[in-house]
Amino acid sequence: MTVNARRPLGWAALVAALVAYPFVDRVLGFQTVHAVSDGMIYVLLALGLNIVVGYAGLLDLGYAAFFAIGAYSMGLLNSPVLGSPLYGHAWSFWVCIWIAAAVSALLGVAIGAPTLRVRGDYLAIITLGFGEIIPVAIRNLGDVTIEIGSWRPIERLNLTGGENGVNPVGRPYLPGVPFETDPVPWYFLILVIGAASLWAMNRLRDSRLGRAWMAIREDETAADCMGVNPISTKLLAFALGASFSGFAGSVYAAKLQAITPGAFEFQVSIMLLCMVVLGGAGSLKGVILGGMLITLFDRVVLTQTTFMVRALGRTLGVSALATADLTLWRWFFFGLGLVLVMVLRPQGLGGRRLSPAPIADDAEDPTSPDVASAPRVDAIPGWLRERARGGVAASPAILDVRGVTKRFGGVIALNEIDLVVPHGAIIGLIGPNGAGKTTFFNVVTGLVRPDAGRITFDGANLVGLRPNAVVARGIARTFQSIRLFQNMTVLENALVGEHCRLAATVPGAVLRPPAVIAEEARAHARARELLEFVGLGGKEHELARNLPYGDQRRLEIARALATEPRLLLLDEPSAGMNPREAETLTDLIGLLRRELALSVLLIEHHMEVVMGISDRITVLDYGTRIAEGPPAAIQRDARVIEAYLGTGYEQDLASRTSAS
Amino acid sequence: MLELTDVHTYYGNIRALRGISLSVAPGEIVTLIGANGAGKTTTLRTILGTARARHGTVRFNGHQLDTLTTDRIVRLGIAQSPEGRRIFPRMTVLENLELGAFARPDRAAIAPDLDRVFTLFPRLSERSAQTGGTLSGGEQQMLAIGRALMARPALLLLDEPSMGLSPILVDTIFRIIQDINRQGTTILLVEQNARMALRVAHRGYVMQTGRIVLHDAAAALLRSDLVRKTYLGEK
Repeated sequence: MTVNARRPLGWAALVAALVAYPFVDRVLGFQTVHAVSDGMIYVLLALGLNIVVGYAGLLDLGYAAFFAIGAYSMGLLNSPVLGSPLYGHAWSFWVCIWIAAAVSALLGVAIGAPTLRVRGDYLAIITLGFGEIIPVAIRNLGDVTIEIGSWRPIERLNLTGGENGVNPVGRPYLPGVPFETDPVPWYFLILVIGAASLWAMNRLRDSRLGRAWMAIREDETAADCMGVNPISTKLLAFALGASFSGFAGSVYAAKLQAITPGAFEFQVSIMLLCMVVLGGAGSLKGVILGGMLITLFDRVVLTQTTFMVRALGRTLGVSALATADLTLWRWFFFGLGLVLVMVLRPQGLGGRRLSPAPIADDAEDPTSPDVASAPRVDAIPGWLRERARGGVAASPAILDVRGVTKRFGGVIALNEIDLVVPHGAIIGLIGPNGAGKTTFFNVVTGLVRPDAGRITFDGANLVGLRPNAVVARGIARTFQSIRLFQNMTVLENALVGEHCRLAATVPGAVLRPPAVIAEEARAHARARELLEFVGLGGKEHELARNLPYGDQRRLEIARALATEPRLLLLDEPSAGMNPREAETLTDLIGLLRRELALSVLLIEHHMEVVMGISDRITVLDYGTRIAEGPPAAIQRDARVIEAYLGTGYEQDLASRTSAS
Repeated sequence: MLELTDVHTYYGNIRALRGISLSVAPGEIVTLIGANGAGKTTTLRTILGTARARHGTVRFNGHQLDTLTTDRIVRLGIAQSPEGRRIFPRMTVLENLELGAFARPDRAAIAPDLDRVFTLFPRLSERSAQTGGTLSGGEQQMLAIGRALMARPALLLLDEPSMGLSPILVDTIFRIIQDINRQGTTILLVEQNARMALRVAHRGYVMQTGRIVLHDAAAALLRSDLVRKTYLGEK
């Protein structure tokens, strides 16, 4: 089952095939509808896991726990065994399925919250632990006795059915549709739920939220510095991922009519993860393919092959074959398949092919080395211009830093630094390597909390704000070693920059009311204009990682501008550029200040850039400010020459003046 | 010593090198200059075997490099300071430097070389017990160069050694390049700072979109109109 059909005709054919399938199966006597229905339940689970693993990049090894929570929510609310309140009502299944999704989402948040501070391997270990805890808790909550001295307030209370599980579970009720042993109604029920979930997921992926998930997956720090709140974004991934497993668990419980803790063990989590990885994390088509392949291989191929092998064994009189059971080899085949896919196609069966990063652009005119064209005033996006006009200054300086101190262990990285950026000024920040320049940026943008000192932005305090909140106030930055969202397109990178200026919520992203559609259209238009402005027009759909170095630098600036900043922090923007390219960059920075009244704080080692464009320069050495003043004075400052400029710079300057 | 003949290197379908021929003689400093995306880094990668030539040959002291694995190539006496530093972030500065000498047979000569690196970069000496990941960007650059020096190679490949370094350190780094060259190391230098590179180099190649468009003595390139306008930023 693939969903590669884009044209209406293709869609119609797909729907017709899905509707006709169970009847064709019945006529031909294949009896595969049960297996396919179960396969679709696992696909739905895998799709939920895909939100956590594939989109947000959070490795979850205990996802079956949410499956269990969904199934038990349904079972406990809709079964006569434990005296459930809703059992026997016609509408109970349809209510319970929403309750199950809500409970799963809630527990997703509860589990997610403590794990958010840890990353990577540690997060995986915590989810592993959680996956182990849930089945054990379900087993042991089947017989709870609390004893205080001789007083037993609770005696032999059965909360979960224990090892025996819950049996029976109430069926869905729909007039005229028998949800009994015939698998066809179940098939259609699951198909409808699955299709609705898929529709919602598809819309989520192409929304403000989907982009934020992927940005977190690519580079959490950079996402934070572009205005994406990593905590709420990751919690939403956990909650939404879990809620889909709530749906899947409910249907599973009702279809099977019985649930036991054994159905939610560790290997189920691993199998679901295999479906996602095999199909291709992040790709909806791939995950559907992976889920169906694994389930059908297990349920249909292995059993059918076993029949054939046994028949062959009986005909040939080989008793080893006649009694063979290939289903016992299921994990062997899973393992083998996974190894083969990872070796031959590491991005998964349906994953986006990752082409290697090109260095030279084939389409480029080979006679022209001048790839960096000069920025044009008329290319400045109009909306950015309007934003620039809107602001009314609340204080004389846009950024005012007083006495900021930061220690790392015994090292004083910043020692009572004062720095003022007036409105519309370009301030240079220079100093020897390791002087604390980037740490200063990190303190201003909220990545590092200062030990002492005040930082005010347009009169309002910044200390204690998270990086994403600092961006929302109007400060954007670029990074010394480029930190783009590598596996997202150029356009998506710019769109993530707009994140904090957009408002779409989860319901908005799924239902797409006119306001959200308009907002998305506007965001796309703005991103395109910005890309055009920095000279990346026509490259919107390339992956950021495939851009040449200079384009990556320009994309970082476009992404920063997309946050609609009033102060731009640039960390060595001309590193790795030749003098000609650096000159283009200098023009761009000057243009931004002149036309957009943008204030700029600039870390730079290219003196042609920093001396030519800065109004004033601050020099740091070993975390201390050793000089501050206009460029001409800084160039002559004995301490700056000794610690930073050296005598070569003067010679260089002299030789260039004589050369031209 | 090093000879590339009509080397074509592809990334997928993209032609990064379109027939590069260049040579480096023992004792030389040769520099490759060109805009971003011209193929300079790809040339270094093709020499070291981290990218593979589809056509053409790479020879080094009589060995054909294009059939060897990267670790074998390094053992033949080629070391590099890669673009983007690529230091080991969870190992200490000292361990990073010691790993640079991993393939060396002359264990006894390693200690003096370590001293030499610490003399060249006193900042690394101050931070020798810190892990590489806690260094600033410029300090990591020093570490990458120091690690390459620890291999004491016959041929040293330097990819933008001045990137991210303060002006005073840029001076220092080019002095170091000349010093180690005088001590017998041959150097192939990729630089955006074309002026400085051409001052220390004996010969230079100018690359544009995967081809070599100009090749001359460094002093002559410094006077060439193309180089002055395009890469030195002179009007």
